Amino acid sequence: MVVLNKKAFKLPFMEREKFLLLMRLGLNYDKPSGTFCLKNFNNIEKLADTLAEILKVDEVTFTQTCAVCGKDFGCSDCKYLELCATKNLPFQCVCSECLREGKTFEDVG
Amino acid sequence: MVVEDEGVMWVEKYRPKTLDEVVDLKDIVESLKAFMRNPKTMPHLLLAGIPGTGKTTVALCIARELFGQNWRTFTLELNASDERGIDTVRDRVKDFSRYSRSAFGNVPFALIILDESDQMTGPAQTALRRIMETSSRTSRFILICNQSGKIIEPIQSRCAIFRFSKLDRKAMIEHLCCIAKKENVTLSPEAAERIVDYAEGDLRHAINALQTASAYKDGFVDEKIVSLVVGEASPIQVQLMIRKALFGDFIDARKKMYDLIGSFGFSGSEIVRQMQRELFKMSDLTPEQKADLANIIGEYDYRLTQGANSDIQLSALLAQFAKIGRAKGEAA
Amino acid sequence: MREDLLWVEKYRPKKIADVIGNEEAKAAFIEWLKNTRRTKKALLLYGPPGVGKTTLVNAAANEFGFRVVEMNASDTRSEKAINRVAGPATAFAALDTFTTESKGNVLFMDEVDGIAGNEDRGGVSTILRIIEDSRIPVIMAANDPDLEKLRPLKKVSALVRFHQVRIPMIIALLQKVCQREHVKAEFEALERIAENSRGDVRSAINDLQSLAETTKTLTLQDTVVLSARNRDVGMDETLREYFSVKSLLGASKLLSYLSVDYDDLLMAVGDNLPLRYTDPEDLAAAYDFVSRADMFRGRIGVENWHLLRYFFNSLAQAAAVSPESYQPFTLISPPIRVITLFWTKGKRTILDAICGKIGRRCHVSRATAKTDFIPFLKILLANQKADEVVSWFEFQPEEVEFLAKMSRL
Repeated sequence: MVVLNKKAFKLPFMEREKFLLLMRLGLNYDKPSGTFCLKNFNNIEKLADTLAEILKVDEVTFTQTCAVCGKDFGCSDCKYLELCATKNLPFQCVCSECLREGKTFEDVG
Repeated sequence: MVVEDEGVMWVEKYRPKTLDEVVDLKDIVESLKAFMRNPKTMPHLLLAGIPGTGKTTVALCIARELFGQNWRTFTLELNASDERGIDTVRDRVKDFSRYSRSAFGNVPFALIILDESDQMTGPAQTALRRIMETSSRTSRFILICNQSGKIIEPIQSRCAIFRFSKLDRKAMIEHLCCIAKKENVTLSPEAAERIVDYAEGDLRHAINALQTASAYKDGFVDEKIVSLVVGEASPIQVQLMIRKALFGDFIDARKKMYDLIGSFGFSGSEIVRQMQRELFKMSDLTPEQKADLANIIGEYDYRLTQGANSDIQLSALLAQFAKIGRAKGEAA
Repeated sequence: MREDLLWVEKYRPKKIADVIGNEEAKAAFIEWLKNTRRTKKALLLYGPPGVGKTTLVNAAANEFGFRVVEMNASDTRSEKAINRVAGPATAFAALDTFTTESKGNVLFMDEVDGIAGNEDRGGVSTILRIIEDSRIPVIMAANDPDLEKLRPLKKVSALVRFHQVRIPMIIALLQKVCQREHVKAEFEALERIAENSRGDVRSAINDLQSLAETTKTLTLQDTVVLSARNRDVGMDETLREYFSVKSLLGASKLLSYLSVDYDDLLMAVGDNLPLRYTDPEDLAAAYDFVSRADMFRGRIGVENWHLLRYFFNSLAQAAAVSPESYQPFTLISPPIRVITLFWTKGKRTILDAICGKIGRRCHVSRATAKTDFIPFLKILLANQKADEVVSWFEFQPEEVEFLAKMSRL
């Protein structure tokens, strides 16, 4: 399993067709830095599967960003993992610390 | 020399390997041996009859007798219900004809055994006939089916037809006792009778039941154990479902239906197929009654292919049975 | 509860930033709104209920100052309605400048998937026409869509997908509401509400409110009622009305105003039919109609929605087989097909593979293996040392485990 940072990540060299497919599935490529980032989330599951194929791993997961404190974290330690309909996908979430401490959205700046 | 795997399942372990060992089908065996003496004259064969009566066994024996130890090299086994369509059948036959050696000794052809050929639709069978024709130089077909009436006439007319009938009780009991002895299993005569009752002429069922029963109490089989085993196996459940429906007990019959789907994962069509088989075996119904019920099954079999929900179609089918059952009860 | 006291209203987001979850969808939505060179003038927001699609549209309108003209796509007097409502003066350009002086209008159609399904009420073609005729942007919302139905709409629209709002997000939101409302709630209670809501923020807040109504301290115990409450009240009522119709006409009328999903209704009717009709002849007749309805339903695809008429017709006939025999009865709930849920595609694949192996060894078809061998193998493997059998068939460990599990069903 591989964890990718949705804001910028690198991929190994691939053929043009695969590259175009990734673009169609919602990625954006930044030439200067050579990194990909997520742009469109409509086909996120298919995208995750395709990336897993390219990276030759079982599963590709993305980091989550805490909506309250802003830090990045992964899904694997989340206690709601099995119940989550969007697990391992890069959507907004709340990290377990903020949740436990009852920090809500307004506590942020 | 190829060593044959003896087989852990008794149906395989004790399957006759030569035509001479197939004792209960004397007439059929005699005719076949005539063809085998001069293979060049052997036509396509159509083996027809209810399940568990020796058709596959005979086909495999023919293969062995024709080709000896390496019979597998010259034989293609196909199941019409497993293949996705006539095109896959055609492809496999073509590949087989192309890549296998199609002659061995004085046998100028390879063998293609096609089981469950009555499961094929009319158009598929027409295509099959053409396949049979185009590969007739290099192959002979042995078609196996339950109901020869479902095989189209052009194919029937190209085959020598052999009909397999229900094995008689004595023969079946003998088989079972023989196997029991070889496997060091104590089989009480009542138990053997019970197994044969349940099997209704299907030797495969009987042997499977025997093997399963003997696993319960390590080599000791009596009536009680047989009842236990047989009660858990699905063909009995299907029969029970039918009987309950005919008795007018719809809700219980439906419960049985859900059990079958839940415990065995059967699809609607699979349950219908079993109903057809079990119906045929039920000896307390008259042929007319069986025909009426078979018609209803046929109607809902069709509907299953059209509709989206097995639960609904099967329930409706059972409801029709309940209605007929009640009419039967009133008329009686 | 008075409307103005409803927490879903009180805490309804008035700004885009306040809509929780689906940040990405929000961003895509705003991008579409701001795009002066839009290629598609229609936008389809799709996703589970209660995640904020409609809320977002209104919040955006509030923030950017455009007017949302809500249009019920079932209104077949569409052309007049559009003109009346949207007016000839509105144009694309008005929406492109996001200042508070902007007076642009946006056409909004909610729940287009429900409407697209029913030929009587306009259908997809009407919606397409509305989109075509409109000179202002069109926004549509659909619930977790059977997107096949909506394919013509997808072709002409930009798509933005919404997902279930995540449990931690919902919990955080509930915590905020509790703070404001001075409700002391156990963390586990909020967890349970969030888990139960299936990503539907609206129902989570509603549940919180009704639970907190009677107590200012919410414990986990209090949330036990949630699972009971989630039973489909709408379906129960519909079924009762359905089974007690007095005539075919009455049945037809009932079905034309259906508020429940008609596939669910079909299954529920199938479940309960023998309770309604105790006479075998009536039951047989009624089931025959239900079976026909099921057949029609099975044939209905994107191209032939008109068959739906026959579906409802048959269903109506099933209800009216013998109105005089009606006696109230207790409905079967939950639906019986829960039993069949074990048989997922994955499970069927494993069973299929097992049958294939049996078939190869024993010279039978997969189907025969399933009916003639599996029942015995189940018992055999449960009762004796299985190693020989397993290795002869070359079963994988997961297949052996599967057979073992089957025995316990």
